[in-house]
Amino acid sequence: MPAEMTTQPVLSVLEHGESLKSFYFQQRFAVEPGQFVLLWLPGVDEKPFSVSDIADGRMEITVKAVGPMTRAMMAVSPGQRIGIRGPFGRGFSPVGPALVIGGGCGAAAVRYLARRLQRDHVACNVVLGARTAADIPFRDEYAGSATLVTEDGSIGHAGRVTDVLPDMLAQGGYRRACAAGPEGMLLAVRALCEARGLDYELSFERYMKCGVGICGHCAMDGSGLRMCVEGPVLGPRDLLGATDLGRAHRDATGARPASATGADQLCGVDGPKG
Amino acid sequence: MSGTNPLATGIAGVRMESPLVLASGILGVTAATLGMAADAGAAAVTVKTCGMVPRKGHPGPAILPLQHGMLNAVGLSNPGVDAVAEEIREFRRIRRCPVFASIFGRTVPEFGEVAAHIARCDPDLIEVNVSCPNVESEFGLPFGADLESVAAITRIVKTAAGSIPVSVKLTIHCPSIARMAKVAEANGADAVTAINTVGPGMLIDVGCGRPVLSNLEGGLSGPAILPLAVRAVYRIREAVSIPIIGTGGVASAEDALQLIMAGATAVAVGTAIHREGVGVFGRIRQGLLDHLAEQGRDSIDAIRGCAHAR
Repeated sequence: MPAEMTTQPVLSVLEHGESLKSFYFQQRFAVEPGQFVLLWLPGVDEKPFSVSDIADGRMEITVKAVGPMTRAMMAVSPGQRIGIRGPFGRGFSPVGPALVIGGGCGAAAVRYLARRLQRDHVACNVVLGARTAADIPFRDEYAGSATLVTEDGSIGHAGRVTDVLPDMLAQGGYRRACAAGPEGMLLAVRALCEARGLDYELSFERYMKCGVGICGHCAMDGSGLRMCVEGPVLGPRDLLGATDLGRAHRDATGARPASATGADQLCGVDGPKG
Repeated sequence: MSGTNPLATGIAGVRMESPLVLASGILGVTAATLGMAADAGAAAVTVKTCGMVPRKGHPGPAILPLQHGMLNAVGLSNPGVDAVAEEIREFRRIRRCPVFASIFGRTVPEFGEVAAHIARCDPDLIEVNVSCPNVESEFGLPFGADLESVAAITRIVKTAAGSIPVSVKLTIHCPSIARMAKVAEANGADAVTAINTVGPGMLIDVGCGRPVLSNLEGGLSGPAILPLAVRAVYRIREAVSIPIIGTGGVASAEDALQLIMAGATAVAVGTAIHREGVGVFGRIRQGLLDHLAEQGRDSIDAIRGCAHAR
């Protein structure tokens, strides 16, 4: 059973930019890369967040301001109490050599995976993409060890993650690709992997209401897989039968929007996941 | 086939392979998740309660699993009756399992309006939620606490529902749930559902000294409320002759049997799915079969209401 909700003080805050910060908490429960926790900002809301690292008994959660709760999070200072419960969902189960791919806020979501693989001496290459350098947390740590891609060319290659992937995949040698990011990117990764017969795991987002598997809100249409239990990390077989991939996802009411452009979803938690 | 299935039953003309129903509010947002419950052994599924217009519900935290149950104040989030009707049509396309709608209204006439809209997708049964404890501040006291409101809502929904059977979902938070059931029956209800969550209750985080639920308070469900449900079904059975959908804290075949022995025709399972997943339906189903076999009974009907024998 995941831990019940309790608040605990923020130990420290690391500012990457004015709308991108990492928060550190004492680790109370084990979390696998790709699993998520629910953070409660008293008086504001509760939303799902991926864990961006666990090291030295501290849990790191990296938050980008994209909605009401994440904007309110930017004002949180050390000592302030925030509720945490978890872990929830199914995370990554990588095998090396692994290709780790993070796009947008997915860069924070795959950071814990990349760090864990490096600590466990599992061979991996990391590709991180964002609109601009300031959107990539811990970018200095990756110098030389990861391939960075920005749309404005402010760091690394100019372009998108999917521009550099074909060459990397062509070099071969990977046993699995693990990716988090906008759904359009995930589907592009899926197509590239399937074309090469490479196994993959992708972390998906849907609007979450309960986070604990009973409301059914975050289920994929068609398959019924719940992102908070069977997901958010899904493999090739999990995606069979899904009918809402790349389409607009259900909103807070449970409605399925008529428009069919879900590819440019927000990252993090005030977007489709929460 | 129903002749050889000892669990086969029926409620208000709806034929079911067993008494087990997926309770409202659980996995009830999408056709795909309703399908999961049906595949796992729910003999009927109930869609999440819907109203006339879309509602986002309360901010989080809205659902708190506890050691022995759950506290929730989702706030009746729903995409509106017409979107829900479309979801029911979708479910019909993918499964052959009876599907129950669940409706609420902000006013008595609105219950009729929602019923008329949901009737267009022809659900097997319409459950009328007069007992959600989480919307009091917005709508005044729950309708389920007031005899005249229950009478009026039952009449207006029955008229709007046409030939679709109607079950009124009752709360224990009224002077007499048996009397409330009698009023529903007298005004045309084809069944009653008992009980809804109880309370409301509150939990305070001692670290920050504030209530955890964003709504401050919410309905309590889970194993602790089973005795309340068993007693309510027992007293309702004494008062009315229409069938009862018993629900509240059911997590095992023994729990379901208690409700059936108290007089329930069907038994809805909700919170137990959090701990066990939809596999709970298969486990309860097998437990019911085992019980009948042990007792040498060839039908679940033989034990229904047996607790009333003197």
